[in-house]
Amino acid sequence: MGEDAYKVKVAKDLEDLIPTFLGNRRKELDALRVALAAADFEQLRQLGHRMRGVGNSYGFERISVIGKHIEDGARSGDKAALAAQITDYGDYLSKVQIAYE
Amino acid sequence: MSSFRVLVVDDDPDMAAFLARIITAEGMAVDTLYDGDSALLSVLTQPPDLILLDVMLPGKNGFEICEHLKSDSATALIPVVLVTALEDRESRVRGIQSGADDFLSKPVNREELVARVKTLRRLHETRRELEERRLAAEVQRKEAIRKAFARYVSPRLADSIIRDLGNDDAPFKAHAHRAEVVVLFADLRGFTRITESIAVHNVVEMLNEYFSALTEAAYQHEGTIFNMAGDSLLVGFNVPFPQPDAPARAWRTALGMVSRFGPLSAAWRGRYGVETGVGIGICRGEAIIGNVGSPHFMSYTVIGNTVNTAARLVQMAQADEVLVSGAFYESIRELVAGGRVEARGDIALRGMSETTAVYSIRL
Repeated sequence: MGEDAYKVKVAKDLEDLIPTFLGNRRKELDALRVALAAADFEQLRQLGHRMRGVGNSYGFERISVIGKHIEDGARSGDKAALAAQITDYGDYLSKVQIAYE
Repeated sequence: MSSFRVLVVDDDPDMAAFLARIITAEGMAVDTLYDGDSALLSVLTQPPDLILLDVMLPGKNGFEICEHLKSDSATALIPVVLVTALEDRESRVRGIQSGADDFLSKPVNREELVARVKTLRRLHETRRELEERRLAAEVQRKEAIRKAFARYVSPRLADSIIRDLGNDDAPFKAHAHRAEVVVLFADLRGFTRITESIAVHNVVEMLNEYFSALTEAAYQHEGTIFNMAGDSLLVGFNVPFPQPDAPARAWRTALGMVSRFGPLSAAWRGRYGVETGVGIGICRGEAIIGNVGSPHFMSYTVIGNTVNTAARLVQMAQADEVLVSGAFYESIRELVAGGRVEARGDIALRGMSETTAVYSIRL
């Protein structure tokens, strides 16, 4: 992915919520990995569903997109696709750059 | 700005915090809860003005909560917005069936959220204003009815009528009906002499004093005043509402009339040199009750043999004497001191086809 894919604009009045938000996303990433290892597709679907809802509400469109893919992958039981999305998510979280405006 | 309280219910703390932040920025108060059961309890105990409700919740889900709230008249008018990432048609239909007022899709668009909440707030406030106006109109309407009733019945009874007023509006039924009643007529003895010897403005003042005293006695025992004419007062009991102790009420009213009139009679004697007293006739039986008159003038009226008998009895009653029918006397016998009672036997009253057992009670 290009550098711009990791850049996110977040509303200034949400700034103080972002550390908690990102902390929860990292916990979510761990939970996704555990669920994938256990092939717990229902848990994966729920986590993906939540990511889809909350991501772009804060301005993190990518999180919503990955969440949608995880939700779909969990429904179809496509473990390889799920693994790729979770890796992508981890990569995104480690590189995301936030600008408040 | 009036406080508008929004309840945000979402099991995702980040989503709840986001919604709360946006709503707070719009000057509204926000409470946040994270599961369905707590949300339902909170709404029932402290109803908010608007609910933003996630669908997938631990405990009761959003659809179930919405259904519950919309089926309860106490909470049915609280606007509910379902905030959901469920996009399928089935979920939307389920949401509509549950009674949701609006939907917001996750991820939530900030501008859309604000616009929807503001619209629902305006609607809610308009509805509240209309409700307040409706209640004010209702209070006015009841006050008007109370004033109308107060012409016939005691203020206490009028208040009770208003309290119990249902959709059929009036216990004073439009159609006449038969009922068991107790009818009391009171007449001023010595009135003819008063009108002949005393100035008109003084006569009017005396009549006002006389009717005030008698009316107060009738109201004290929740009698219904049907008619006031000349120096005669007609009071009914067990009408328009049942009074199982109607005979006792009528009897106590008679006692009250005579005792209230006593000081007035003494004052008149001193002021004008006239001898006056109250004569009373009471009868118990069936009568016809209803609004009688023309489209321009109606009168709540009681008619029938029972009324005619009481009218004949009052014509015969001396000052401080109560003449009662046998049926009435039997129902108050225990309340009357024996020495005061004199049985007059069966009397053929004027205009009546059958004789009436009459008792005289001296007060």
